[in-house]
Amino acid sequence: MEKESVNVTRGKYIPLLVLLMIVGGAACLWAGEVNLRTLTTVQMPLFTAGILFFLAACAGLLSLANSRTGQRRLARNLSQMVNQGKLAYVDCPSTTVMGLTAAVNDAVSYAERAVDDAKSRVDEIAIELKVALAARHHAEAILHSISDAVLVTDVFDEVVLANEAAAKAFGFNLAESTRSPIDKLLKDQKMIELIRDMRQGSTRNTRRIIEHAMTTPAGGNQAFKVTFAAVPGQDNKAAGVVAVLHDMTKEKEVAAMKNDFVSHVSHELRTPLASIKAYVEMLIDGEAEDEKTEREFYDIIQSEANRLGRLIDNILNISRIESGLVKINKQPHSLMVILKEAVEVITPQSTLKNITLTDKLPPVFYQVLADKDTLYQGVLNLLSNAVKYTPDGGRISVVTSIDEATRRVTVKITDTGVGIPPKDLPFVFDKFYRVEANNKMAKGTGLGLSLVKHIVETVHQGTILAESEVGKGSCFGFELDLLE
Amino acid sequence: MAENKRILVADDESHILHVVSLKLRNAGYDVLTARDGQEAYDLAVAEKPDLLITDYHMPQMSGLELCQKLKQDPSTSGIPAIMLSARGYHLEPQDTEQSGILRMLSKPFSPRQLLATVNEVLNRAA
Repeated sequence: MEKESVNVTRGKYIPLLVLLMIVGGAACLWAGEVNLRTLTTVQMPLFTAGILFFLAACAGLLSLANSRTGQRRLARNLSQMVNQGKLAYVDCPSTTVMGLTAAVNDAVSYAERAVDDAKSRVDEIAIELKVALAARHHAEAILHSISDAVLVTDVFDEVVLANEAAAKAFGFNLAESTRSPIDKLLKDQKMIELIRDMRQGSTRNTRRIIEHAMTTPAGGNQAFKVTFAAVPGQDNKAAGVVAVLHDMTKEKEVAAMKNDFVSHVSHELRTPLASIKAYVEMLIDGEAEDEKTEREFYDIIQSEANRLGRLIDNILNISRIESGLVKINKQPHSLMVILKEAVEVITPQSTLKNITLTDKLPPVFYQVLADKDTLYQGVLNLLSNAVKYTPDGGRISVVTSIDEATRRVTVKITDTGVGIPPKDLPFVFDKFYRVEANNKMAKGTGLGLSLVKHIVETVHQGTILAESEVGKGSCFGFELDLLE
Repeated sequence: MAENKRILVADDESHILHVVSLKLRNAGYDVLTARDGQEAYDLAVAEKPDLLITDYHMPQMSGLELCQKLKQDPSTSGIPAIMLSARGYHLEPQDTEQSGILRMLSKPFSPRQLLATVNEVLNRAA
């Protein structure tokens, strides 16, 4: 608040008033000695003037006293205002300082309005600040929630913003990254150069996308799609750079897996087709020496055609279940009946390899809400895998157990097969995934277990189980809710 | 021409093994069969066939590994090979040099064409 000085004229006229009183007093004394009636025409006006001077001096003195009281009060009011630190209207009954009081009160009123205006501006600014802070927190939350690495630098190539993904990708401490020069923070020289180039370039080239492989803090090699964007600044210069790094590792893996899948599937499709084509040609060329051989050829053609059909069904089923197109018809079914059927179907294959296949299924009629066809397919896939990856003379057991507390049934298919290395186990349910170490043991498309997982989890809301130890065997199974 | 020529056929697909053997036997060749790479290698070393017809993708040892291994062994390095593949494998000149594979037939194949290829390779070898 601006201080206003109140300038009051005082004491200047006192000697004049005293002089007038002396003159007036002398006139009165002189008048006392003279007879008024005897006053001459010259003496009379002098006497009158003396009286008038005296009265005027008295009035002046009285007025001066009044004015001084008013000024003191005014000054006290003002100093009170200063001491209390708040604006208030002054109240002064003295008529002589009335104008001054009014002027002071006008000033107070003006100051009050100015203070009110300033207060509302401060309130507005506080709201604006809150909004800006909220927006910043919002932006930071977005920045930290995205999985792509984001790094923002300024005109000095110092980091102004980074997220956890960036800290992870570049291997720096996020808390200490702000205001760090990039050449100290980043180890990848190419990235440093790219950010510098982008900043030094014209902002007309606002975006640049490149593929860049970096050595990760863990020591591996990671492929990124990096998008650089220049932050517009003055004079067509960039005020900073935003770099967004998208990890391409997964995409590349998926692309490689798809290629691998196409290669696997075409191999799987070509094999039965090769038999069909060869036997048909043999029949055409009359290479079957007798009717029995001819019959045998027809049988082979039929079974290979069936095999081709099953393979195509498998591929289609998985994509149908994945895309939700498969028709699911869930009814109460005996899980034991489904298991028994699958075990019976797989027995000839296990017998061929001298594998002992046992099942410990309770005679109790436990029911589950199941789509019989898909659940049967799932169990069959697990059993078929057990047979495929168990060496001749091994053992496979199918066991169920009931948890009365949770009302769930667990099915476990345990084999004495080759087992799965720990590094592969988490991925065996991924589509197209093949355990490299066991590739030579049996052929496959990498679809079977992925299909089982879909059948158990997507179709039946169950839980898939997998345990394995290399050289000892594997145990695959699932848990389903029992029907009350 | 097929007299006394012995051909080793290796494939883990029993139907393919059967049909190839039959076609070759009908043409007068002696045929040995193996169901995986290792068995084929052992048979080749023991029997020294005149020709090897092998599948590419087999358990234990792939067809390519089998051929390379035979090529490295002086006693079997002269055995020419025909590869059957369901993977559209493209035969490179160095394959012949390093593994003795002279021809590549992709599955599905024609037994007639296979026989013609066998005759051609054995005539050249002879």
